[in-house]
Amino acid sequence: MKTPDTLRPGERLFALLLVVFAGYAFWESYGISGFKGLTTGGVMPMLASGVMLATGVVILYDTLRRPASAETGLPALLAYLFPLRVVLFTALVAAFVAVIPYIGFLPASGALLFVAIWTLWSKGPVWAMAISALSVGVIYLLFGVVFQVILPTGSLWT
Amino acid sequence: MMETLGFFATSWLDPSLLLLTALGTFAGIYIGAIPGLSVTMAASILISFTFKWEVNEALALIAGVYVGGVYGGARTAILLNIPGAPSAIATALDSYPLARKGLAGEAIGLSTVMSVIGGLVGVLALAIAAPLIADFAIKFTSRDYMLLGIIGILLVGTLSGESFAKGAFAGALGVMIGMIGLDPMTAEARFTYGSINLMGGVPFVVAMIGFFGVAEALAQLEHISAAPIKQKVARIVPSWSDVRRYLGLGLKSSGLGTLIGALPGTGGDIAALLAYDHAKRSTKNPEVPFGEGAKEGLIAPEAANNAAVGGAFVPMLTLGIPGDAVTAIIIGALYIHGLKPGPLLLTDTPHLFWFIVGNLTLANLFLLVFGLTGVRIFTKVVECPRAILIPLIIILSAVGAYAIQNNPVHITWALGFGVLGYFLKRYGFQVGPIILGVILGPMIDANYRRAMIGAQENIGTFIYDLLSHPISLVLTCALVFMFITQLPFVKNRKRQTRP
Repeated sequence: MKTPDTLRPGERLFALLLVVFAGYAFWESYGISGFKGLTTGGVMPMLASGVMLATGVVILYDTLRRPASAETGLPALLAYLFPLRVVLFTALVAAFVAVIPYIGFLPASGALLFVAIWTLWSKGPVWAMAISALSVGVIYLLFGVVFQVILPTGSLWT
Repeated sequence: MMETLGFFATSWLDPSLLLLTALGTFAGIYIGAIPGLSVTMAASILISFTFKWEVNEALALIAGVYVGGVYGGARTAILLNIPGAPSAIATALDSYPLARKGLAGEAIGLSTVMSVIGGLVGVLALAIAAPLIADFAIKFTSRDYMLLGIIGILLVGTLSGESFAKGAFAGALGVMIGMIGLDPMTAEARFTYGSINLMGGVPFVVAMIGFFGVAEALAQLEHISAAPIKQKVARIVPSWSDVRRYLGLGLKSSGLGTLIGALPGTGGDIAALLAYDHAKRSTKNPEVPFGEGAKEGLIAPEAANNAAVGGAFVPMLTLGIPGDAVTAIIIGALYIHGLKPGPLLLTDTPHLFWFIVGNLTLANLFLLVFGLTGVRIFTKVVECPRAILIPLIIILSAVGAYAIQNNPVHITWALGFGVLGYFLKRYGFQVGPIILGVILGPMIDANYRRAMIGAQENIGTFIYDLLSHPISLVLTCALVFMFITQLPFVKNRKRQTRP
């Protein structure tokens, strides 16, 4: 894979954030045991975050060298990194994770599948309902029965 | 001799053992292929309900799942670009581009044949050279394991996507994630921020599911309106000329895979990565560049990861040291049945050793049959529209992340890793090195500290040890060589001198 000749929207900012994150990671790693010895628990994290910091600087330098693309600014960044569909789907998955403790894994999965398939697929709610129900049944059989995984149950039903 | 042959053929002649091996291999292919399901998880669950069985029956089923599972990871790597198992991370690099060119059937056929060749080479090594390989592997010290781990991380040069710096950053990030939790040597908290959940560390399967499963699902949302992923599966059985052409590479990769598999703590994932790297360096003029659908990039890791299965049994059966996570579970199964893996196993219970050899051979033959048939039915699963597939991947990822330790928090972590992986992918980072770092990081940390303690915390002594012991010296030279070949000016010079 070759590096594109021009920058992607927000690439320079992302590289800068990586350097800041790597610096923070190094500081946190130093906080584990400082430079007390060569076999302390903080040595490997410091080495790893040091590599992150060094390579992060190289990546940032590379973004400073390359010309920006024609599409710049906040709208281009939002369109590139945060398309509405990705944002909404991620919010839906976050909601799925949040409701698992209350309604349980299988009902939450059914709800996620139904809403996601209904909105992403153009076949209507009946198809979405049928596929969701079938999928939840297969998941229950495979994980709950065959592999005997104790799937989380909801606090609302217990 | 006849007695040995009888032990070898036990599972070939007993219908119930034959059936269990076939069932295990078939199930293993699907377990390995479904992202979120792991062979380790399946093997550990299988032990929980096979402990009352006869040892041969339990081993037949588990060994079948193991062989099938290591191979199965390649299926989704080829068809979806989602490795079903860590051992298929390297496979995805070239197999998915092959599938995008309409050669999914050929890729599956070649991966099957080379996996079987690799598997048989591994079993042959187990049968013939087990004591020799075990003798060699036991000579490895902590220092050597540390070097081996760093070499694994440096392989990011091969996996790095756009640039070596991005690959190295991703690898180091993986090591950092692998460091989270209580330090196993001093119980010091590392990046736990007072959270009880973080004290146990991040299971690499959770990171793998997040960075591969969830991130891929989010990335594919962009193409939701596009036609469903329909990989053309035309010819599955590879041509004889192709098999003959790549046989040399397959055998070399199998040898490498067997050796790596025999090293305790390493498994099919490292074997596949090293074989991929070897193929990339040794193939002078590939028909298609590596990363864009080179068949060599598919063959080498597939032969190596299945060869590592036989290799992993070597230290387990001869020394009682597991070669990887699955053989660690199999050791548990042997203990449950009153057997003690170790040097005496071969002399006290030769029937068991030869049964395992015969059973692994049989599982590989079943792999050939199941690998080359039923592919079209399998692809129907991935031909389903993205609008159905993406939410299903999320659900499978969630249940896979949860099932590792029955901990709901891991679902949240997998989602978080998925979002991070999505951002990294958008800016040209590969997520493979991150997973590699998560897996190898703790191993490098522990072995570095053991080696440094051995050198009395003296850097001079440590370096002297690296250069004065033959195995360490070879590995150090390999490490230096790999680093130098990744430097930009060396790469540019190589490009300029290439005709």
